[in-house]
Amino acid sequence: MKTVCKKISFGDSLALESGQTLSGFELMTETYGELNSDKTNAVLVCHAFSGNHHAAGTQEGEEKPGWWDEMIGDGKTIDTTKFFVVSLNNIGGCHGSSGPTTIAAETDQPYGANFPEVSVSDWVETQKLLADYLGISCWEMVAGGSLGGMQALQWAISYPKRIKKAAIIAASSKISTQNIALNEVAREIIKKDENFHNGDYLVKGASPKNGLKAARMLGHITYLSESNMSKRFGRKLQDPDNKMDADVNYEVENYLQYKGEQFSKTFDANSYILMTKAMDSFDPAKDFDNNLVKCLQSIQAKLLIASFDSDWLFPKEYGLDIQMSAIKAGIDSTYLELEGAYGHDSFLFYSDQYAAVLKNFLNSNG
Amino acid sequence: MDNKLQSIVLDWIPSNSKVIDFGCGDGALLKILTEQKSATGYGVENDPEKINACIINGVSVIQQDIDAGIQHYKGMDFDVAVMASSIQCLRKPRDAMKNILKVANECVITLPNFGNWELRLGILNGKMPSSSQLPAKWYETKNLHLCTITDFEELCHEESFAIKKKIYLNRRGGSSWLANTFPNLFAAQAVYLIG
Repeated sequence: MKTVCKKISFGDSLALESGQTLSGFELMTETYGELNSDKTNAVLVCHAFSGNHHAAGTQEGEEKPGWWDEMIGDGKTIDTTKFFVVSLNNIGGCHGSSGPTTIAAETDQPYGANFPEVSVSDWVETQKLLADYLGISCWEMVAGGSLGGMQALQWAISYPKRIKKAAIIAASSKISTQNIALNEVAREIIKKDENFHNGDYLVKGASPKNGLKAARMLGHITYLSESNMSKRFGRKLQDPDNKMDADVNYEVENYLQYKGEQFSKTFDANSYILMTKAMDSFDPAKDFDNNLVKCLQSIQAKLLIASFDSDWLFPKEYGLDIQMSAIKAGIDSTYLELEGAYGHDSFLFYSDQYAAVLKNFLNSNG
Repeated sequence: MDNKLQSIVLDWIPSNSKVIDFGCGDGALLKILTEQKSATGYGVENDPEKINACIINGVSVIQQDIDAGIQHYKGMDFDVAVMASSIQCLRKPRDAMKNILKVANECVITLPNFGNWELRLGILNGKMPSSSQLPAKWYETKNLHLCTITDFEELCHEESFAIKKKIYLNRRGGSSWLANTFPNLFAAQAVYLIG
């Protein structure tokens, strides 16, 4: 699989949905496979909350491959011998694209908490500029799970002529009240870390690692299903030689400690807050009198909306809600509920049924 | 759906219709309706393999159980609903028909006729009958509410479902004098346009 990792600078200033402006920005991108001469085989994959540009393959020194490696590759569901797959780190993130850890030209300091608020449609704008840069006038498919699925939906709404298919997986047209509430708890945990310093921790040489870790531990529980956790850990006691923390009793505690610790080493606290805010505010119907049917009417792409049966964070009703509005709007749209063993995170993992559906959708006639 | 049945259904559904096919199988009918009659079509199906076949066929499909799913279509406005050999599989066929006619102007229903002589002979032999229309064994069938042509037309009369068109088909899927004259005995299938 031909893989190219590249940081691309965009000189144009970007007017954000919040009203603020970014004077130029950078996108960290990774592409897989080759763009054909007509530039008609391009697939954009959008990452979820904590993902990044590295979607497939294993980089040197890496223990785990990219976040959607089970689906992207030569001969895989999104077959890179056939399609040119584009992945990027969204702005506001912390894996190479412009975000809170970037040095702001105006101040010569990291943006920190001053990085402007970003939204799903802002991300779609930057992805559109990326498509222009790559010479791609129309994506064969834009796909993503969770917050990535929201980007796929926004693409279909914002640029009807530039996308043929949208795979909206484990997503919704707006998140639930409970979801906003959970995000607020996570933000509160981060902000109350004594090393947060109102978001200016980088300048102060500090790190709100503990807050970030605890926030992630909470988040991680919501990404898994109850049955998956029971099956995987049950009430097994943690082997005393491998305890992350002396107070840990059960394996599940150790697992969360480990996951939280790893995450806190690679993620930025301000990015965490920005990403959750972007998720909370996503609601494309708000510009259409809160009428999702009206909002979807301009769509020309075919939609594939898939929910997972064990996902309690984005339950199937949310997918079905988009589907029913799509039918009312008279647009081409398929909805299905897939079996998923891993709760919300099921969208990341291969299963025969899931892979067949996505592959057949991608390869079906537009 | 065999060719004769398909040509009847195609003939009855006007061009540019918005169609919902309850129990759409592999989406073959919707695919033809889209291609030949510029229809906007949606299928409802609950079998993952058939859903996959719909996706391969490029047909829009919703994974749902028909009985439970029908409530989601409240307030929608389809030109035509199709229930091809699926009404007898429903838990509440009468309620389903009522609800379908609330969301669609017309409904095409195809019905395997349990009153057909062949099936009656089976019963006379003291066994659950089977035929080309109803091939499954009693312990494997998905059919919950089988009925005869007389039963069905009685229900339509009681519920004031207007039968706008009907065609009786014999065992070979064609029209015949016998099937038309004594449908409840000689028709293997009936096709209705109800409004």
